[in-house]
Amino acid sequence: MIEDTIAFLKGYKNSVIGLVGLGILIFFVVVAIFAPYIAPYDPHEMYKPVRHPNSDHLLGTNHIGQDILSELIYGTRVSLFIAFISSIIASYIGTSLGLIAGYFEKFGFFFMRIVDGFLAIPRLPLIIVIAAFMRPSIWNLIFIFVFFGWPFTARIIRSEVLSLRNRPYVDAVRMLGAGNFYILCRHILPNVIPLVVVQLIMEASHVVLAEASLSFLGLGDPTTKSWGMILHYAFEYPTIFISDLWKWWMLPAGLCITFTILSLTFIGYALEDLVNPRLRREIL
Amino acid sequence: MSLLTITHLKVHFPTQDGMVKAIDTIDLEIANSERLGLIGETGCGKTVLGMSIIRLLQPSTKIEGEIWYKGKDLLKLSEGEMRKIRGKEIAMILQNPTTSLNPVLKVGDQIAEAIQLHQGLDKRAAREKAVEMLESVKIPSPDKRANEYPHEFSGGMKERAMIAMGLACNPSLIIADEPTKGLDVTIKMQIVKLLKEVSRRKSMLFITHDLGVATQICDNIAVMYAGELVEYAKTEDVFKNPLHPYTQGFLNSLPNMGLKPIRGMSPSLIDLPSGCRFHPRCDHASAKCTIEHPPMVEIEKGHSVRCFLYT
Amino acid sequence: MHKITKIATYGIIIFVILSFNFFLPRIMPGDPFAFLTGDPSTDMPVVLDAGIKAKLLSYYGLDKPLSMQYYDYIANILHGDLGWSIYYNAPVWDVLRGSLKWTLLLVGTSTVIYMASGIMLGAVSAWKKGKRVDAGLLTFILSLSSFPSFFLGLLFIILFGVDLGLFPISGARTPFMDYSTSFEEIIDILHHLLLPAATLVIAHIGGIYLLTRNSMLNVLGEDYILTARAKGLREGYIMRRHALKNALLPISTMIALIAGFMITGTILVETVFAYPGVGRLLYEAVLVRDYPLLQGAFMIITLLIIAANLAADMIYVYLDPRVKHK
Repeated sequence: MIEDTIAFLKGYKNSVIGLVGLGILIFFVVVAIFAPYIAPYDPHEMYKPVRHPNSDHLLGTNHIGQDILSELIYGTRVSLFIAFISSIIASYIGTSLGLIAGYFEKFGFFFMRIVDGFLAIPRLPLIIVIAAFMRPSIWNLIFIFVFFGWPFTARIIRSEVLSLRNRPYVDAVRMLGAGNFYILCRHILPNVIPLVVVQLIMEASHVVLAEASLSFLGLGDPTTKSWGMILHYAFEYPTIFISDLWKWWMLPAGLCITFTILSLTFIGYALEDLVNPRLRREIL
Repeated sequence: MSLLTITHLKVHFPTQDGMVKAIDTIDLEIANSERLGLIGETGCGKTVLGMSIIRLLQPSTKIEGEIWYKGKDLLKLSEGEMRKIRGKEIAMILQNPTTSLNPVLKVGDQIAEAIQLHQGLDKRAAREKAVEMLESVKIPSPDKRANEYPHEFSGGMKERAMIAMGLACNPSLIIADEPTKGLDVTIKMQIVKLLKEVSRRKSMLFITHDLGVATQICDNIAVMYAGELVEYAKTEDVFKNPLHPYTQGFLNSLPNMGLKPIRGMSPSLIDLPSGCRFHPRCDHASAKCTIEHPPMVEIEKGHSVRCFLYT
Repeated sequence: MHKITKIATYGIIIFVILSFNFFLPRIMPGDPFAFLTGDPSTDMPVVLDAGIKAKLLSYYGLDKPLSMQYYDYIANILHGDLGWSIYYNAPVWDVLRGSLKWTLLLVGTSTVIYMASGIMLGAVSAWKKGKRVDAGLLTFILSLSSFPSFFLGLLFIILFGVDLGLFPISGARTPFMDYSTSFEEIIDILHHLLLPAATLVIAHIGGIYLLTRNSMLNVLGEDYILTARAKGLREGYIMRRHALKNALLPISTMIALIAGFMITGTILVETVFAYPGVGRLLYEAVLVRDYPLLQGAFMIITLLIIAANLAADMIYVYLDPRVKHK
């Protein structure tokens, strides 16, 4: 196991894309953790509204006078928190159900019809509809993302379990009298963990995008600062396009979202390249 | 007159675990109208030899030596020149027809495309020729069958289709890689008969691990072990007078000869044994065999062997 | 078997969506119907007049038992009655019908372009795996598709619409314009379509590109590709005729997800470009809390996706001869 991990890290080290992604993500994580020390102001504090960048406010202030740079820095916390909490819970649920559905065939069949149904329902429109009815809050958003996130993981894990289940060594262990639960935890789970990690990263990037989209549409939690919210208010501001305002009000927030998604996509791609040997198969 | 002459061929694959010496070193000739059987265990480099003749190995492969065909060194040809040889001059019938036929294209079209390309026929004529080919490999109602997809064919029929595809452009040399693998006995015999028939007046390199099948088709047999040839003889001599301990062991492991397997396992092609590559498994091995690599020596006309027992 | 499961899956999806649409306002905390009863604590920005209120009350039939409400709801939908839009004071279906064509135009155009280019680029990338072309394309497209569609749209508006003045920044056609010829009208419509369509294409191309690339890489390792090479066929021909069709098989099963992403993108892009489609309508409905319109728009969007799925199934049958004969 330790050897595997070392080999894995060595492989990852060779992936330029993976390292770039990791670097960007670490940057955002550091900003999120130390937000109160980095941010020059309390993002809720109001100063003179719609100020252009100056020595007091490096990125100016928004329509109600809040410091945009501080908003951005605190926004990192919100985006990453929602993304990771949602994707961790969704992966946990998806993996558990995927394991069970892959291992117990009959249950799996019916289960997969439900998962297919879930997957065919357009996620964001549905989330928009639900968010329109619910009072938007961070926890409601997380609940929604988890609720619609787990089927992806469940499906992928199930198909992997299906192929693992019939391997000879699993049969051997079964004949030695091992119980189902034991086989699942000791022999199948370790084999799907790498896939789960890839899925988790991909899911996190989906959530960042979904959260930003919802907030941009004005369906985020109005009491917290997120990048999507900054864009939402900027977009609503009447002269946003015909003045220079967008350069410091819109652009930085948009780039923060883009780079977060970029880092997660890169990491996810690099991991998948390592985890999925089929993609590396060469023609002999 | 020889049609194909392979000299000092080495084929190495770089892998994560080291260099795989799939072929090291092979000298071989195939004469006009000769049917040569290449025999060996799985993983000894037989298929690689076939692939290197028509140069279908991955680009990272390191190939040394010369492969002369009709006055040209195939290894020196450009990719474009090589394409004109593949399928037209030299055809390779790949192993495992189930995966070697494209599942989403009609069998007839898969045969016709090579004809269209190499013989410059139009679509219609190529198609007619394809039906003819299916007929020549004894597929019943070939006109209808040409319009079907591979999954509608049985295993034996797929093999026949593969053979038809190989023969389509009337090549001078056919490389058949394990064409009887995985077929049941009756079908196998039919395919053997068919191959024997269609390869008349042609040269063929017949790659197989099934000595019984090889004897029925081939004029000569080359025995391959761990990337090199260890014995070369007329088919009947291989049976009557096998010289190399490996060949003897191979014969003894056949079902009608007592099913005695050779002890040990075939060596890794990354880490070849010193001296004679067969010595760890050989009952006659001496100290010399562990150090010195025996040369291929012609013992009598048309019968060579790589073993110190005869020198 | 395959068909039955498929039909069952569609049945389940439609049933789930309809039920969901039905139950959502009824189970949500804070009583979304409070606006109907005139509760002043709601955040309904629209004051209902008595006529609309009566219409809505009779549509939802809140005084009847739940099972009757459900029955009526399904019956209404089957009659094409999706309720009454509060904001537009018109039947929801009439409001939606006007926007549907614009959404179809936008989604249709961008889907065609993005499928074609994504598949092509993915195939090229797989073909040149490990070479510079592949590494370049991969990095470029992964980076490009990290841009959220709405942000990309905003940048396009600023760059091409405002700074360069090349394209109109909102709407589907020039307001109040009298077209002298229908050609002129088409040009105007295309002119308005280009930026939103380009945004959708660029924002979503990454998914299909990666799918094709992975799928192609798998296919290129198959034995039948070797067979094709052994026949002396050209690489380009092998890619097109032997590899691509096989590589498209797994992709066509992913159409559901792809369509979902596309529709999602449409909501955002239509909002950014004020493009008068169903997505924009959904957004408006959210803003003014016009629940009947919101639910109607959502239902249409879902039906579009199911239609996309059906199309994908048909494409699959066309591509894979093994399905037909089963």
